[in-house]
Amino acid sequence: MKEFEYYKPSTLNEASEILSKYKEEACIFNGGTDLIVRMRDEMTKPKVVVNIKEIEKLHEISYEKEKWISIGACVTLNELSKCKMISEKYKILTDAIHNIGSIQLRNLATMIGNICNASPLADSATPLLVLDAKAVIFGADGVRKVLVKEFIAGVRRTDLKIGEIVVAIEVPIYEKSIVGSFHKISRRKMVDLSTVCGTVAKVNGEIRIALGAVSPTPVRALRTEEYLKGKILEAEIIKGAEEKVVEDISPITDIRASKEYRIDMAKLIVKRGLMHLRDSELKWGEQSEA
Amino acid sequence: MSKVKHKISFVLNYEKTEHYVKPNTTLLNMLREDFDLTGAKEGCGAGECGACTTLFNNKAVNACLVLAIEVDKAEIITIEGLSKGRELDELQESFIDNAALQCGYCTPGMIMSAKALLNRNSKPTENEIKEAISGNLCRCTGYKKIVEAISSVATRNDKKESMNAQKGGDTE
Amino acid sequence: MKYVGESFKRVDGVKKATGTLKYVDDLKPTRFLHASVKRSPHAHARILNINVNEAKKLKGVKAVITGREFSGAKCCKRVGLYLEDKTFLAVEKVIYVGEAVAAVAAETKEIADEAVKLIEVEYEILPKVINARKALDKDAPLVHPNLANYKYAPIFFPEPNTNISNHFKLRKGDVEKGFEEADLIVENEFFVPHIQHAPIENHSAIAQIDADGALTVWASCQSPYAVRQALSVAFDIPLNKLRVISPAIGGGFGSKAGTTLEGIIIPLAMRTNGRAVKLTYSREDEFVSSFVRQALFAKMKTGVRKDGKILAMKNEFIWDGGAFTEYGVNIVKAGGYASTGPYEVGNVWTDSICAYTNHPVGGPYRGFGMSEIQFGIEQNLDIIADKLGIDKIEIRRTNALKAGSYTSMGEKLDMCGLIDCLDVVVNEMDFNKKEKSSSPNKARGKGLACVFKAPSMPTNVASSAIIKLNEDGTAHLLVTAQDMGQGSDTVLTQIAAEVLSIHPDKITIKTGDTDHTPYEWQTVASRTTYCAGNSVKSACEDVKKQLLELAQIKIGMYKRDLELRDGYVVSKIYPDKKLPISELALGLTLEDGSGIHGPIIGRGVFIPPNIRNVDKETGLGEKPVVFWTFGSQGVEIEVDIETGQIRVLEVVSCFDVGKVVNPQLIEGQVEGGIVQGIGSALFEELIIEGGEVKNKSFVDYKIPTADDMPKMTIRFVENPEETGPFGARAIAEVCMVAAAPAIANALYDAVGIRINTMPLTAERVLKAIKEKNK
Repeated sequence: MKEFEYYKPSTLNEASEILSKYKEEACIFNGGTDLIVRMRDEMTKPKVVVNIKEIEKLHEISYEKEKWISIGACVTLNELSKCKMISEKYKILTDAIHNIGSIQLRNLATMIGNICNASPLADSATPLLVLDAKAVIFGADGVRKVLVKEFIAGVRRTDLKIGEIVVAIEVPIYEKSIVGSFHKISRRKMVDLSTVCGTVAKVNGEIRIALGAVSPTPVRALRTEEYLKGKILEAEIIKGAEEKVVEDISPITDIRASKEYRIDMAKLIVKRGLMHLRDSELKWGEQSEA
Repeated sequence: MSKVKHKISFVLNYEKTEHYVKPNTTLLNMLREDFDLTGAKEGCGAGECGACTTLFNNKAVNACLVLAIEVDKAEIITIEGLSKGRELDELQESFIDNAALQCGYCTPGMIMSAKALLNRNSKPTENEIKEAISGNLCRCTGYKKIVEAISSVATRNDKKESMNAQKGGDTE
Repeated sequence: MKYVGESFKRVDGVKKATGTLKYVDDLKPTRFLHASVKRSPHAHARILNINVNEAKKLKGVKAVITGREFSGAKCCKRVGLYLEDKTFLAVEKVIYVGEAVAAVAAETKEIADEAVKLIEVEYEILPKVINARKALDKDAPLVHPNLANYKYAPIFFPEPNTNISNHFKLRKGDVEKGFEEADLIVENEFFVPHIQHAPIENHSAIAQIDADGALTVWASCQSPYAVRQALSVAFDIPLNKLRVISPAIGGGFGSKAGTTLEGIIIPLAMRTNGRAVKLTYSREDEFVSSFVRQALFAKMKTGVRKDGKILAMKNEFIWDGGAFTEYGVNIVKAGGYASTGPYEVGNVWTDSICAYTNHPVGGPYRGFGMSEIQFGIEQNLDIIADKLGIDKIEIRRTNALKAGSYTSMGEKLDMCGLIDCLDVVVNEMDFNKKEKSSSPNKARGKGLACVFKAPSMPTNVASSAIIKLNEDGTAHLLVTAQDMGQGSDTVLTQIAAEVLSIHPDKITIKTGDTDHTPYEWQTVASRTTYCAGNSVKSACEDVKKQLLELAQIKIGMYKRDLELRDGYVVSKIYPDKKLPISELALGLTLEDGSGIHGPIIGRGVFIPPNIRNVDKETGLGEKPVVFWTFGSQGVEIEVDIETGQIRVLEVVSCFDVGKVVNPQLIEGQVEGGIVQGIGSALFEELIIEGGEVKNKSFVDYKIPTADDMPKMTIRFVENPEETGPFGARAIAEVCMVAAAPAIANALYDAVGIRINTMPLTAERVLKAIKEKNK
């Protein structure tokens, strides 16, 4: 690992100033689990590393009634998965987070880090996409909010500009509780990267689908969602959705899987996700009748 | 703030410690090189094998994924901190009794993961144990005896607790 | 027996559980330097020029060496265990991606790494050999054009001016006649890819040269004496000036059986004015630049009678040996001589060919030869049973080697516990009962494999042990059999305790120092309990003999009526007549005050008895191996038919090990072997493209986690090995062999598909399911 200067600002303004000063030569250090490996391999050689963990409010999970829950940038994945409010409201998110790396890694890594890495296979991205979560970005000109979907701009590329810091992710609070499921297909069940991952959920009465590791960025399967609009989840419709999702994705072949396998798995996630929705609704139906 | 060494103060294996580190030193390197605490091993340097698992404020972390400078004001416990002289931690005893170690290279990390698990959950199920150590690779044992070793400490905890509860009942 | 057969706690347990055992990378000799290696980015290229000037100028750099500097010099002779084809640094050309080209020793690791980046190497790319089968083509480029000049042990058959470094032939009976008489002939091809041992400890070594020219090497190595020998040849250092110490080994599985990185740091240490030089491999280096398991292309033709009796087998095994096959030639031989599996076949024709390629160096990997071939053999047997409509267990019973049968190499077996083991497995797992799957998209299946393995070692390998009795009746046991996790320190201590009749706690075992512990050929081939165990037993018997000689004088009873019991020499007739062995430890003092004999030191040596070379043309022989360990494993799996993912639910295993010395340790070893076997069956594969390994990290080379562990039932049969210590045979490797074929057979049972390529990845399984459903 190359040498670098290390800063540990205690305010956002200070952090932003340092980042603005050193521009491309500076890196934000949060969980560090990805950055340290990249620095070790000298894929990233920052001159300046800015540790934002001293900034207290970045560790908070807060909410504004009926509007949103905000997850601070420095909340670790394990802290997040232990948060009752999150697991009650967004089980799909907790499930996704629980599938990232090992316990040791989740004690360090953060969800915001997972998103800022902008990996096509970021496990936490697909639930955030279906939830219409937003990245809250602090910069010299104040705070702006961008949908996670737009924030992740390409492979390892985000909308973050020089001097800016993602301070939180805001997840809207929905009136109806969210029914859905997260799915991860990996070579090994524990501690592995996703070969394909995805979330299928009913949000605000509409079925939303997001998939990871099948495009340069995690994507919403908008054509499939459109196809499903107003339809009842019968076997034939689910089959149709499976076929439709192929139009939403553009997977590649790499050492983890072939393009063909990824297509099959994307279809399977859609199928399993929709079947889960259908079964949950049946259950809900029974309950309400009772 | 420069490339020079920074002073950090932390508690290392229950002892207050002051130390100077370069920002690009990992916790693992500091422990191994500066303190000769070589129980934490480097198996991959990328957080994939768990051989360097160390307790950072009572949580298991990969010491290779932590900058030494980050442990300022924190508490660090390594495998060397578990035993007091010849008095071993019950997990260490259990690993020996159950033959839950072979080459021994993953063992310190494995025990630290188990320690963190039992600290947060004194009575884990078999699946919880497996999950807790799934970030610790072992190439020798096939894991069965490791799970048994952890499980037997958990069972003992369970018995202790119920005995204490009984005792409490008696005195009342 | 008092100590043999009991589950004593590991003698190395406390040090390992407390993290205080020092492995090589934990050692820090005073002012040691750090090494870093410049490696080849090309699979096959001529080195035109190496410029190290900038590297040498970097502050903190103490020595830089290149392989080219040794060209023609006596310092870089080719070395090898069986075939001397290897240099530690590339001399004139590089022959695999990751080969060492130059190395640096510097004050810090960072400086050494930086200096390596400053080394410039000019290459002329040469056509590469990246397919073992094509390597055999007449016009294939040659990886080793000077093969004709290499030295090799006479039991191997390199073919000069080709890429063939060994061609082992087995010719038994008349294979064509066998096929003519057959009712069914089945031909299949199988492919087993390169995998890597992935010990959790990466290779590490330190070298230091004293002012008087003596070289000390600390290495994480399984075989200090073999390393000493190779280094002595390579660097022309007499053995009395070369000390190899192996303080601890964090897992070997064969990867640390030979020499690898030691030879890189010695030339550096020759230039550092006495300062030690340390090199520790990264995980990436480990995957590419240590050893890998050779890949195998196998063609198998089998002729059977209607009742399932195998009449003839014709096999072609082509092994991808990689850039150097100094060790690999023996893997090819082992695979060749076991080529029928544990079955009696009258007519056999096998060609087992080791091909040089521009791939990572193939070397010994737990169960070598056997894991690779039995993946095919055991599937083939199920295929045949299926075609003939015979039960899978029955076809194995029909063909199984039994007492009185002849092995593929023509050796008559006096005893064989294979069917005993098979029976245990079949009963224990209720093999023929079909279980229901846990959900509609999953299918369950059971599969089984019978396997065997002999220690793959030369005919005359030697072991020795020394035991020193201390004044208080405790003892030190010195051997150079290395405990790399398998538990040999504990098992050898138990054997000594049994013979000396003292508690194992009273014996301290010391290993791994060629200056102080006596000769051991290697810690490989599952031979330690047997070979080192026999030498320990013999050393203790020597001690016993000396003690009884002295005691008979003191006690006044003839030695035939005396025995050792719990730290005493005791009369068998009058048990109250006894003498503590501590009183005899330094010899016997007579009544007049004079002393005789001196300290009690026992010496034990061992060479496996009566193993003889095989016929060069036919590969046949009366006693080609010391013994075979037979066994069987059954597995139950569940397959997700929509993802192709396999979960191994249960494994039942039974081996005939002769005698279980330590029940708890042997169980652990088999459990470890099973899970390692599951890894190779389900995920493990080095993905090599154009000679370059694409998945050289744990991110993309997955080994099993605790979650992948199945329910395991471990059983043993104990038909004693006549020549073994207390009847013990071997287990370490054979327990890994069966997992892959048994899982492949279970996959067929579950979903009716056959996959001839390892590993059985989810993607391959799903593809096969889809093809079947077309």
